[in-house]
Amino acid sequence: MQITGMLHGARLLQLVGFPTAEVLGPDANDDEIKGLIERHKQVFIKPVFRGGVGKKGKAGLLGRVSDLKSALKEKERLYFAEHQHGNQYAKANGVTFEGGVPSEHEIYFSLTDSTEYRAPTMTLTHHGGMDIEELDNTQIARVPFNPLTGLKAFIVANALSELNAPKEIISPLVQHLPNLWDLFHDYGMTTLELNPIRLRADKRGRLTPVACDFKCGFDRDDPRWQRLDLPAHLFAADTSPFEQEINQLRTYQGQSDVYIINDKGTILAPTFGGGANSLVTQMLGDDAIISSDFGGNPPYEKMKSVASICFKHWLKQSNVLFIIGGKSNNTDIFETFRAMADALREHFGQYGPSPLYVVVGRGGPNLVRGMAVLRDTCEALGLPYASFGFDSAMSEVVDYARKVDAWMKAGGRAQIAARLNVNA
Amino acid sequence: MKTSNAVGGFKYYTGIDSLADIATRSVRVCVLNILGGESSDVTPVGHAWSGGNVVFGTSPGRRGQVLDTPAGPIPVYNNVREGLEAGHRFNCGVVYLPPSAADDGVVELVRVNPDLNKIFIPTEKMSVHDAREIRALAQLNGIDIFGGNSLGVADAWNQVRIGGALGGDSPGDTLKKGSIAVLSNSGGFTTTIAQYLRMAGWGTTTLISSGKDVYIHYAAPEFAHALANDDRSKAAVLYCEPGGYYERDANFTKPVVACVVGRWKSKLTRAVGHAGAMAGGADDAASKERWFMEKFGVDALFTPQNPVVSKKGAVVVNIADIPAALTAVMRANGVQPDFAPEGTMELKPWFISTRGLQLPKELDLAPVEAPEPYREQIAALKQQVGTVLPRQTMKDTSGASQMDAKTQLTSLHGVSMLDAAQYPLEANVSLALLHEPGGVNDQRLINVAIGSGLNLHGHPALAAAQAAREAGNAPNSVLATAASILGPKSQEAARRAVQVLIEQFAAAGLADALDEGFDARGVRIDDTALFTGKEADPRAQAMLAGLQARSAKSVFVRYLQSLPGHPTEDAVLAAITATLAWGPLMRKRISRLTAESLPAWMRLFGALIGASVPAEQHTVDSFCGITMQDILEQRPISEVAFIALLGLPPNPADLFSFQVLVGLLLSNGPGTISAQGAKGAVSADGPEDPSRVQLNKALVGFLTHTGYAHGGNGYEGIAFLIEQFKDAGLQDPGNPDHGIDLHALAHRYVKAYASYKSTKKNTGSLDIQKIPGVNHPVFKDKPVNHDPREVFIAKLFAERGEYNVFHQFYRTLVQALFDAGVSRNVYCVNIDAVIAALLLKMLWQPYRSGAYSAAALETAAFTIFLYPRMIGCAAEIDDHLNRGRNMDTRTPASQCRFVA
Repeated sequence: MQITGMLHGARLLQLVGFPTAEVLGPDANDDEIKGLIERHKQVFIKPVFRGGVGKKGKAGLLGRVSDLKSALKEKERLYFAEHQHGNQYAKANGVTFEGGVPSEHEIYFSLTDSTEYRAPTMTLTHHGGMDIEELDNTQIARVPFNPLTGLKAFIVANALSELNAPKEIISPLVQHLPNLWDLFHDYGMTTLELNPIRLRADKRGRLTPVACDFKCGFDRDDPRWQRLDLPAHLFAADTSPFEQEINQLRTYQGQSDVYIINDKGTILAPTFGGGANSLVTQMLGDDAIISSDFGGNPPYEKMKSVASICFKHWLKQSNVLFIIGGKSNNTDIFETFRAMADALREHFGQYGPSPLYVVVGRGGPNLVRGMAVLRDTCEALGLPYASFGFDSAMSEVVDYARKVDAWMKAGGRAQIAARLNVNA
Repeated sequence: MKTSNAVGGFKYYTGIDSLADIATRSVRVCVLNILGGESSDVTPVGHAWSGGNVVFGTSPGRRGQVLDTPAGPIPVYNNVREGLEAGHRFNCGVVYLPPSAADDGVVELVRVNPDLNKIFIPTEKMSVHDAREIRALAQLNGIDIFGGNSLGVADAWNQVRIGGALGGDSPGDTLKKGSIAVLSNSGGFTTTIAQYLRMAGWGTTTLISSGKDVYIHYAAPEFAHALANDDRSKAAVLYCEPGGYYERDANFTKPVVACVVGRWKSKLTRAVGHAGAMAGGADDAASKERWFMEKFGVDALFTPQNPVVSKKGAVVVNIADIPAALTAVMRANGVQPDFAPEGTMELKPWFISTRGLQLPKELDLAPVEAPEPYREQIAALKQQVGTVLPRQTMKDTSGASQMDAKTQLTSLHGVSMLDAAQYPLEANVSLALLHEPGGVNDQRLINVAIGSGLNLHGHPALAAAQAAREAGNAPNSVLATAASILGPKSQEAARRAVQVLIEQFAAAGLADALDEGFDARGVRIDDTALFTGKEADPRAQAMLAGLQARSAKSVFVRYLQSLPGHPTEDAVLAAITATLAWGPLMRKRISRLTAESLPAWMRLFGALIGASVPAEQHTVDSFCGITMQDILEQRPISEVAFIALLGLPPNPADLFSFQVLVGLLLSNGPGTISAQGAKGAVSADGPEDPSRVQLNKALVGFLTHTGYAHGGNGYEGIAFLIEQFKDAGLQDPGNPDHGIDLHALAHRYVKAYASYKSTKKNTGSLDIQKIPGVNHPVFKDKPVNHDPREVFIAKLFAERGEYNVFHQFYRTLVQALFDAGVSRNVYCVNIDAVIAALLLKMLWQPYRSGAYSAAALETAAFTIFLYPRMIGCAAEIDDHLNRGRNMDTRTPASQCRFVA
C-alpha cells in the first residue's frame, strides 16, 4: 500500500507541519494555474500514479514550464502517461502542478526500518536530487535511532555534522525533520521518502526546508493509517476483484492471503501455511493460478466462503484442485476439508460438473476424518483423487500435482470430461 | 542499556551464548492469555513434554481458573503482578495475545518482572510500529525476543518446548535427539524439516522458529554465534525467505545447509503469507542465495543432479533436498549421520482413486498403509457404512426440503415438486427416505413392503381409528390415533434384523444388492431367531410370493430363503429394506440410521393408508375389495392408495391426476406447520440419542399439525366450485364440449362478489372473505399474474390432451374479476385451485349421482393432502433425526412476547 506524489503527500505533510511546495491538483482551472506560475515563476507538472512508482524523472515524465500555454500542453502529455518500472506497469490518471522552489540545496531524507540495525533508520544526505544509489557511502548518513524516544533534533544534527553539511542548512533541517517521525510512526508507515527537500530563502536569507516530492508505504497490519482518511480507491488498484472478495473475509481468525499469479493458470492450489505457500508457489510457477495462505485455523463458514469464491472465479479453467499444507499445528483438518468439500459440492450443484483431478497433501488434527470427507465428496462427484499424509515429502507431492496437470493437458481432461458427460 | 550480560559483540543486545541455553529444564515460563483458543490447545502439550515448565498464566477476569494439562493444572491470574505476588517466579514469557494487544503484553512482562530474560511472541500480523517499540524496550532491558509470528523453540535433548506448537501434538514423536540445529522462517516447516532430517538419519538439538515479519528479533547472526558455542550441535539447517539482511550478517563456524525459497516473490508487489518475505531489492531470494554461496565457497546450488557442496555448507532451493545436502556436507567433514535412516521421500498415498482412467505409471500409485495411529483410523473408516452427518441446530432448517423464494417451488432432496408430480407414489417414497427416486426394482420392493402393512383387520389400531372416525374426528386425528398405537416395540424385530444384515453384508463386501452372483458364504449370522422360525409364517410367505410374482431381485431375500427354517415377516421386511438402502448406503448418500429406520417407515405408511379407510373395508384377506394376494403380487401402491382414498375404480387419467397431486403436495419446505410439528416431535425426543426417537409419534406430530386451515383447506376450493356449477348441468368435467358458458358463470359470481364486498365495506367491516384458489402473496405485482406451479400443471395436462372445466373456469374467473374492476390486476390462479379442480374432476360424477356425500368429499380433500405430506414429513423426520440437536426447535423466551 503505497502513495507517490504531492497530491496526497502535501496534505499528509501538513498534518505534522512540514512545509510543502504549493500544489494544485488535476482539477485546477486556468486561472489557478496562472496564479501558481506567477507566484513561483517555474512550475513542475507531474503525472499522478497510484501506488509506488519510481524513476519517473528518468523516464521523462516530468514537465517544467513557466507559462500557461506550456503548462496545458504538458498536462495533456502527462495526464494519462504510462510507465513501466520493475515488474509493474502503471498508468497515470491526472497531473499535479507544483510550484518550483528555488534553492541552492537539495536534500534527500527517508525513514524506514533497517534489518541491519533492527531499528528505525534515517537516511539523510545533502547531495540530494540524484540517485541515492549512485552516491558514495561517505556522502550518506544512515542513522538508526530509538523508536521509544523518536527522531530527535540531535540525531539530525549529529548526522549533518558527520556529513560536513553546509552550515546554513543545519538549523532548518534540525528544526523540521524530527516532525516527520510523528507522521511515520503514528500513522502506520513503513517507509517515508522525501526527495528532494529544497531550502527556500526568505528576504533575509533564512532557509526553510520545503518538501518537493513524497513517497510513503503503509503497513497493512497497522490500523493507524486509517486515521488519515485517505480515499479507498487509492489502494484499490493493488488488487483484482477476486482478491478484493477474499480480502473482505480478512479477520485475524485465520489468514486469507491470496494473490493472483497467473490468471490463465491451470492448478488451483488452496495452500495452508506461509512456508507451504512459498514452496508451492515457487515450484508451481506459472501453472499456479493463485498464491495463497489460508492457514491459521479458519472456522468452517469462513473456509467455505473462501473456497466458494476461489471456485467461482477459477474452477472452470483448473485441471487440478491441489489442497496442500504441512503438518498443521492448530488448523483443524476436518473442519477445513469439510468446508472445501461442501463448497465443491455446492459449486457443482450450481454450475454443473467440471473435469477436475483432486490432489491433497496435509497433516494435522483430525487428518483422517478430513481426508475421508474429501474422498467421499470426490467419489460422489465422480472425480479422481490422491491424498497424501505428512509422511510424504511436500515437494514430492507438489511435483505429483504438476505431473497430473501435465497429464490433464495432454488429454486427461478430455477423458474425465467424457465420464462426467460434460465438455472438456 | 543493560549490556553487562550482552554477548557476541553485536551492535545490539543479545544474551544467549549457546543454543543449549535457550530451552532448558530450568526455564520457568509465564503464558499471557493462557486460556485463549490457541494457547489452550498448545500450552498443555508443551508444558507436559517439558516436565511442567509453565508456572502460571494470565487471563483478565479469570483469576482462580486453571488450565488443565497432563502434567497437572496451571493456575491462572488476572495479570502478571498477581502471579508474582502469589509467589510464582519466572524468567520467560509467552505472549499469546492478538495483534493489537501483543505489545501491551510485552511491556507488562518487562515492567513487572525484573527476572525476565526471554520473551516468545507467537502472534501473527503485529504492526511494524509495535515491533519497533518492543525491540527497543527489550534491548533497553537486556531481554531476548523470539518472534513475532514465531512457533517458539524446542530442544530435543532437554525435551523442552517453549512458545508455540513446534513438533505438533506429540513433540516427542517428531523430535529425536541428534546433532543438527534448525533455524526456520516458517513455523510449520520447522517441524517438517525435523521430520525430513530423520529420514536421512539426522536428529536435532535446538529448533527455532524465527518468524518472518519485518522485525525478526532472534535471527541468523545471533543464531550463528549460539550455534558455534553449542557443543551438541555439529551443523545447522536454515530455512530462509526473502527480505532482511539477517543472513548476510551471520558468521558461521560450523557447516550449514541453507534452504532459500521465494525467488518468485520478486514479481510481487504485496506480501502473501509472511509479512517481511517480499523483495525490496538487494535482500531478495537471489541475493540470499548469493550470500550463502559466498560464505560456503560454492559456485552453484545443490540439487540431486548436481550435488555441489563444500565443507562449510550447501545451498538448496527445494526443501526435499535438505537431507541429502546435509549428509553430503557432513560426509565432506568426515561425520556420519546420527542414526539409521528412518524412511524415504517416496510418495505414499493414503487414499487414491484413479477411477479406471488411463494414467501414466508415475501417477498410478498404489495406496500405502499410513503410520499409526492413522492406519487404525483409516481401517475404522472402512467399517463405516453410509454417511455420518455433523449435528447442528435444525430449527426452521432442513437438509431435505428447500423452497426457492422466487418461484415458490419446493424441492425434496433436489427434486422439484413439479418433477415429483410425474413420479409414481412408490418413487416418491424412495425419494423421501433414500434421497433418490430409485428404479423399477425398487418400486417393486416398495409395493410389497407397504402393501403388506395395509390390512389392519383384527388389529387394535383399526378399531381405534374407527372409533375416532365415528366420534367425528377429522382424518388427521383418525390417522393419529392409529399411529399412536403402532409403537417402537412392534418394529423392533425388523429394525434389529436390518442392522445385522447391514453389518454382516458390509463386512462381507457386498457392493450391489442385486448382484446375482454374490457369494454370501462370508456372511455370519449368529442370532437366527431374528430371521427364521420353526413354523411357516403365512404373512412372510405372502410377501415372498409377491416379490417373486413381481420378479423383484434382492441378494438379501435370496440369502434369507437359503437359511434353514422359515423366514419371519419381520425378516422379509428387513431384507426388502436392506436392498432398497444398499445403493445409497454404499454411495454415502444416506446414513445407517436412515437405513435402519426403513422397516418402521414402510409399516407406518401402510398402516396409515389402511387406517384412512373405514374398518369394514378390512377383511381377513382383502382390503377395499382387493385381495391381499392381488395387492402383494400385482397392484402398484399408487393404485391401491387411489382406491383407498376415493373408493372408485381407477382409470388411467384419474390415476395420473392422483399421482400429480401426490407429487405436488409432498412438501412445502420446513416452515410449514406440518413440517414443524414433525420436527418438533423429533426434537422433543432428543435426536442426539436416535434410538429414543419415536417415529410413529413424530408422524403424530405431523398429523396434529395439519387441520382445517392447513391441509384440510382443499375442501374450500371444492365447495366453491360445487356452488358455482351446481345448476350448470355439467356431466363430464373432462369433456371440452360441455356446452356451459364459463364467461357467464364467472360473471355471475363476480357480480355477486362485488356486491358482497361493497356491502361489507359499507357496514365498516374489513372481514372480507377471500375467493378460494385465486391470488397469492408472492405472485401478485404484475398486470397479469401467474403461479408457476399452476402454469406447469396446465401445460402438463394440455400436452396429454386432458381437459378440466374447473381449471378452465378458474382462468376465466380471474380475467372476469379484472374486467369488472373488482381486482386491480389479473390475479393468478394458485395451486389450491389446481388441487381442487383436479380432485373435483375425479369425483364429480360420483358426487352428482349421490354416491359421494359432501362430507365424503371433504374427507377425501383432506386425506389426499395427508398421504403425500406424510411421506414428505417422513423425510423431514429422518433428516432431523440425523442432523438435529436435542430440543433445538425451541424458541428462547427472549424471543417470545406477551400481550394483555
